[in-house]
Amino acid sequence: MTPTEGFLRHGSDAYIANFAETEREVLVNLVQQIIEILAERHDHASQDPLAAMVGITTHDSPPDDEVLLRLLPNAYQDGVDAAEFRRYTESTLREKKRAHAMSVRMLLLSATDGDVVLDFDNAQAWLGGLNDVRLALGVRLKVEQNSPEDLELLAPDDPMRAVYAVYTWLGWLQETLVEALMDEASS
Amino acid sequence: MGKLKPQPTVTEETAAEISAIFSSDRPWVVVVWDDPINLMTYVTYVFMTVFGFSKEKATELMLQVHNEGKSIVAKGAREEMERYVQRLHEYGLWATLAREDQI
Repeated sequence: MTPTEGFLRHGSDAYIANFAETEREVLVNLVQQIIEILAERHDHASQDPLAAMVGITTHDSPPDDEVLLRLLPNAYQDGVDAAEFRRYTESTLREKKRAHAMSVRMLLLSATDGDVVLDFDNAQAWLGGLNDVRLALGVRLKVEQNSPEDLELLAPDDPMRAVYAVYTWLGWLQETLVEALMDEASS
Repeated sequence: MGKLKPQPTVTEETAAEISAIFSSDRPWVVVVWDDPINLMTYVTYVFMTVFGFSKEKATELMLQVHNEGKSIVAKGAREEMERYVQRLHEYGLWATLAREDQI
């Protein structure tokens, strides 16, 4: 199968891309890892079932893990305000991100002949889901410190080289989806 | 020597300043920070979707984030700004909120 040419808009509410088998495998694997890393942050529901019911989490401190912190960032620079906000909103944000990743996973797994067909809502979920994978990979690649030139020059046997290749591929894929959506937004 | 009795003159301005300290109507702002991961077109699209900005306005704000390191993208009541920050976080943008005078 040929590599994907990215997303194209079809009609008023469909965004279609065809994925090669290896591409599907890579992407399913990556979103699966996002689902798992978010699950690790899960609350101990038994602690306060009533609080859990109304979406208040037991967490008010930011995650220690750099990737999780980028996925679930502080909303305030001030620590006290950030903790308060996190207590009331983090579980909702985590659930949203999980749903985005699940949407990517489910539609890839159920794609016939590699065809993924998104409606507008799915497209939003995919944008968020693809972006979360890029954020996670970007943190691991230390994109903050390393310039694109540094990353292009990684040695062929450096495992980060493959990670960087996937990272740039995902950026390109996301861009095709944004452009397909912008088409509509501007019309 | 007798003590001088302090006689503060409270003008309308002072009164407004004092009440502003205790009230919550001083506007809050949403700040989006530059990061090297989020794509420029993606940030533009998110601004259009979350705030309903035109493509021109969204692009302008995105460029300000990119070139100046940050941009104030919304201003208003605290609860409303918190909802915006939450939505921007759903899309993976790096956003915070603060009182307007603390930025």
